[in-house]
Order: sequence, then C-alpha cells, then structure tokens
Amino acid sequence: MSEVILKNVCKIYDGGNKVVTDANFKVEDKEFVVLVGPSGCGKTTTLRMIAGLEEISSGEIFIDGKLVNNLPPKDRDIAMVFQNYALYPHMSVYENMAFGLKLKKVDKKEIDVRVKEAAKILSLEEYLNRKPKALSGGQRQRVAVGRAIVRKPKVFLFDEPLSNLDAKLRVQMRTEISKLHKQLGATMIYVTHDQTEAMTMGDRIVIMKDGIVNQVDTPLNLYNKPVNQFVAGFIGSPAMNFLSGTISEKSDLTFTSDKSELTFNFSSEQKSYLKEYIGQEVVIGIRPEDLSIEKTNIKSIEQECVLDVIEPMGNETFIYFEIEKVQFIARVKPLGDIKVGGKIKLYIDPEKIYLFDKKTGNHLFKNS
Amino acid sequence: MIKKYLLYAFLSVTSVITLIPFIWMLGASFMFDGKASVFPPIFLPDPFTFTQYQILFERLNVWRNFFNSLILSSMVTVLYITFTSMAGYAFAKYRFRGKKFLFNLLLSSMIIPSQVTMLPLFLLLKSMGFINTYMAIIIPGLANIFGIFLIRQYCISIPDSLIEAARMDGATDFQIYRKVILPLAVPILVTLAIFSFLGTWNDFLWPLIALTDDSMYTLPVALANLMLEHTKDPELMMAGSVVTVIPVIIVFLALQKYYIKGIMMGSVKE
Repeated sequence: MSEVILKNVCKIYDGGNKVVTDANFKVEDKEFVVLVGPSGCGKTTTLRMIAGLEEISSGEIFIDGKLVNNLPPKDRDIAMVFQNYALYPHMSVYENMAFGLKLKKVDKKEIDVRVKEAAKILSLEEYLNRKPKALSGGQRQRVAVGRAIVRKPKVFLFDEPLSNLDAKLRVQMRTEISKLHKQLGATMIYVTHDQTEAMTMGDRIVIMKDGIVNQVDTPLNLYNKPVNQFVAGFIGSPAMNFLSGTISEKSDLTFTSDKSELTFNFSSEQKSYLKEYIGQEVVIGIRPEDLSIEKTNIKSIEQECVLDVIEPMGNETFIYFEIEKVQFIARVKPLGDIKVGGKIKLYIDPEKIYLFDKKTGNHLFKNS
Repeated sequence: MIKKYLLYAFLSVTSVITLIPFIWMLGASFMFDGKASVFPPIFLPDPFTFTQYQILFERLNVWRNFFNSLILSSMVTVLYITFTSMAGYAFAKYRFRGKKFLFNLLLSSMIIPSQVTMLPLFLLLKSMGFINTYMAIIIPGLANIFGIFLIRQYCISIPDSLIEAARMDGATDFQIYRKVILPLAVPILVTLAIFSFLGTWNDFLWPLIALTDDSMYTLPVALANLMLEHTKDPELMMAGSVVTVIPVIIVFLALQKYYIKGIMMGSVKE
C-alpha cells in the first residue's frame, strides 16, 4: 500500500505569499493522479512538498500511512522526474540510473540487473554508455524515468515531464508513461498544465487554481459535472463558451443574455433547480461540441451567426463567431463552401447547457 | 583579407617582442661567464655550455628549494580549491541568514591591497608560531574571495533541479558537492588551480618575509639571494630563472585546454 494523503496542506512563502491553501486529497495505492491547473496555480509547489523539496507551512502529508512532514526526500521512498530531465551531464546513461542505488550501497550485481531491466522497459539498452548530451529529448526523458524506476519507489512524482518535448513525441511519451503505470502498478502523481495530458493519463485529476484545489474527480466527471466555471472552462478543448445573462419568469422561466441576443426557455427539470435564481445574474456555458449545424433536438434554439474564423481540421471544423461581442467557438462537421464573413445557423440544445452563479462561479446544475 | 594579414602581422610582431626576453634568458643560461653582457645582445650560445647549471646546483641547494616550491604550491592549490569550491557552492546554492551581507563583506575585502595586510598577517602567524614553517605560506593561501566569487558564479549556472535530483536519489549534502558539483565544475576548478599554483610558485615577497631559513626558501627567494651575491653573473641568474620557470610552463601547457574553457564559461548565462 503506497497511498499519499494531503491534509490541509498550505504553503506560505517568506513574504506572506500564499501559494497553496488547504490542499486536501488522497491518492490511492496504484492510482495515477494528475495535478493540473494554469501556471502559478501551486501544482508544482504541491508536488515539491510531497517530494520534500519544499517545506510545508502547515498541514500534514502522509505517504504509506507515515507522516512525512519532517522527513528529508531520501527517506520518503519516492522518485521524481523533472521537467528539464535533470540528468547528471558528466555521467553515462548507466551511471545516471545507477547513481541512486550506488548511494544506497546496493550490491553491484543487483544494480546491474535493475538498470538493465529498466533500460529494457524503456528501450534504452543501446544507449547505456552514452552521455546525456548525445541523446535526443525523448531519450533523455526516458533516462530520467529510468532513474526513477530502478529505485522501485513507493510513489513516482512527475513534474511536467513532457513539456520540453515536441508535440508528436509528447503524445508518444504520454502513452508510454500510461503503459508504464500499468506495467509497474505504482502510485504516480503527475503535474501538468496541459488538460489533454491530464484527461488522457489520469485515473483522477486534481484541478487547482490560485493555490486552491477546485475539484478532485475522474476525467469524465470533470468534463460532465464541473463544480464551477473555472473547471468547466479549463477542461475540454476547445474551451467552453460562456455568456452572461439573467433568469426571469415571464410566461415561462427564461434565460435572457445581457443584450437579449440569446433567449431560451428551460426544460421542466431545469426549472426545478432554477426557481431560486429568478432575477439573478447567471453565466451559461456551452461546450463547442454542443453547438451544431443540425437540429438534433426539437427544443434546440436557432442562432444565426457571422463566421469570423474557420479552422478546418479535416474530420471536423472549428468555427469562431461572436454573440454579444463575446467570442464563441463551435466544433462542427466540415462546412463545405461557407467562407469567413458568411452566415450560418447554429443550434443550441438547452438541455446541454451549463449554468453558473455569476458571483461565485459555482455550477448550478448539470442536466445530463 | 588585407585586414586579416595585417592582424596576423601585428600579432606575430607582438609575440616575437614578448618572446625575445624569454629566448635571451634561455640562450644566456647556456653561455660562459661574460658572454651575455654584450650589445647588441646575442641569442645563440657560442660555445654552448652547461657550466652555469653546474654552478647553480653546486652553490644553491636547488633541489631543496625546488621541493619547497613544489610542495607549497601543490598543497596551497589543493587546499585552496577545496575551500573555495565549498564556499562558492554554498554561496551559490544554499539559503542561509546573512548570506548576501557576508558575501558583500567578503567582496569588499578585494579592494584592500595585499601589501597592507602583510604586517598584521605576519604578526598573526608569528603569534601562532608558524613563521619559518610551511604553514606560514599555506594558511594565507587557503582561500580568497576571488576564487569563491568565480566558483559561485559558475555554480549559479548549474540548474537547481540537478541538486534536487541528487537529493531525491538519496545523496547527502557532501555527496552532492563531491559527486555532482565538483565534476561539473572541473573547468573552473582547473582555471583556479592554475592561478593558485602559478601565484604561489611565483610569489616572492611573502615567502621572503615569512621564511627565514635557507632550507625553507622557495626557488624565487633562493634565486633572489643568488642575485645579491652574483650581480655580475647574468648567465648564472638566467640558468636559475630557467629552472624556476620551466615547471610552471609545463603546468600551464598541460592544463591550458581547461583553462581557456573555464575563463569562457560562466560569462554567458545558459
């Protein structure tokens, strides 16, 4: 069992700058958890606190049931893969991987077995005698992973390990790390700012913003049931469209956007949630994939828009347009002949709309 | 193109001018008495002789002085590199109270000329009972801010993550210094080692003050004594100079490759 538990973990720097506030979450044994958020959200600091590279201002961190607040990194039985690989430039690949074991005074034969085993898993066997500078970015990153594997730690920590790689290699390494997780059956905590990486790799995702953990959930739950506007906007690519307006009760319960360009009525189920918000300002969220050029639901509202940008991706097309001077993006089927400046009718399914409290940003309900 | 030729011509002329005294020294050391003091100076010994070297080794305890110089320069260099590298690394990578103040204080000491500190240093070492011992040369050479500063600048360019990776790998602070920092700092260490070795080897004034016994003299001091006794023997003096200069030339040539690298490195932040 190598679970990691964070209880009310805070990090306050000397100048009183609070970078992590009351982080609470649990990483189960053998789980792959991804910490994600925009830069400066405290995700790396959180990881470094788990690693022991950063002191904890308050709160408790448990690894494998043991309180590790005051333990130095080497006694926490963890391994970390750094963003810039952090390979020792003067050592060969073999020595890089063996370094930790040598320090632990592990038997030479055992070191050899473990290094070669890791090299095999990571397809690094041919490169064992090379120096890091003679390797490509992807190979260096694999050596960094290998250095972690050979130590057989309880927990693996990854600090944005793929952000220095090019797009293609990143996708490849992503699957390799996911495979490795299954192969090793190890607990892994992975930090990234890339929501695609988070969605594709994590068993669960911890979303952070301004040092606060916003939501801890599975990728699909984050997508379908975001707790607030931030999570809704962060997860999903392209990002969710937002438009603010008011809920009013005329003949029916109605949403009217600020400049009345968009109005629609709610379904009976939605109404039951929304009564207390009558007269209040809300923000609606529409995922780009929920805007379609075909009417799929009879309740769908029709909205005519002028195309600002068209991005054909082959199998689908991203189109950009404005509603009330707010940039919207829709993900639709290939369009054919329509050009920039042309008009198109889009259909919004009111049942697929997300609603957020304008003041708090909290999600009001999700009709799924 | 013409510019290039002019540059090369200029460089050749200046190198010849620089080398002339050196060549003359070498030539004169192989001449008989009185042959070198002529005008215009002659550079090739005719006839060629080893007499001056014979006299030198007979009159002076050259081996003893050579040994003194060698042992002192080597020991000072090893200790100097050890202390400055530790201090430089600490100033670059550790966070501790008063670090900035301490470093600036040390830096400001650079403006004090060494001649000013000679008397207090002499009195201090005298009170410690180290005058006329190797310690009198070694102790003042243990560390200086110049070396600490150079190593600090170099260490700053080493990424923190490398140190953190070593820490995660289970290395102690000393192991990080010994197995990660030192190997990476080789170019700057070699550069400093050359400075230190040459500095100690060539130093004249301080050994003259601190060492009083013939048997403790370093080569430059012994040579200076010879000069007083034999002012009219330039050939003998030149033989002594050659003996003094050759080891440092060997050291410099052997380490030159690293030395250039060391001077270049750290100038650009990577």
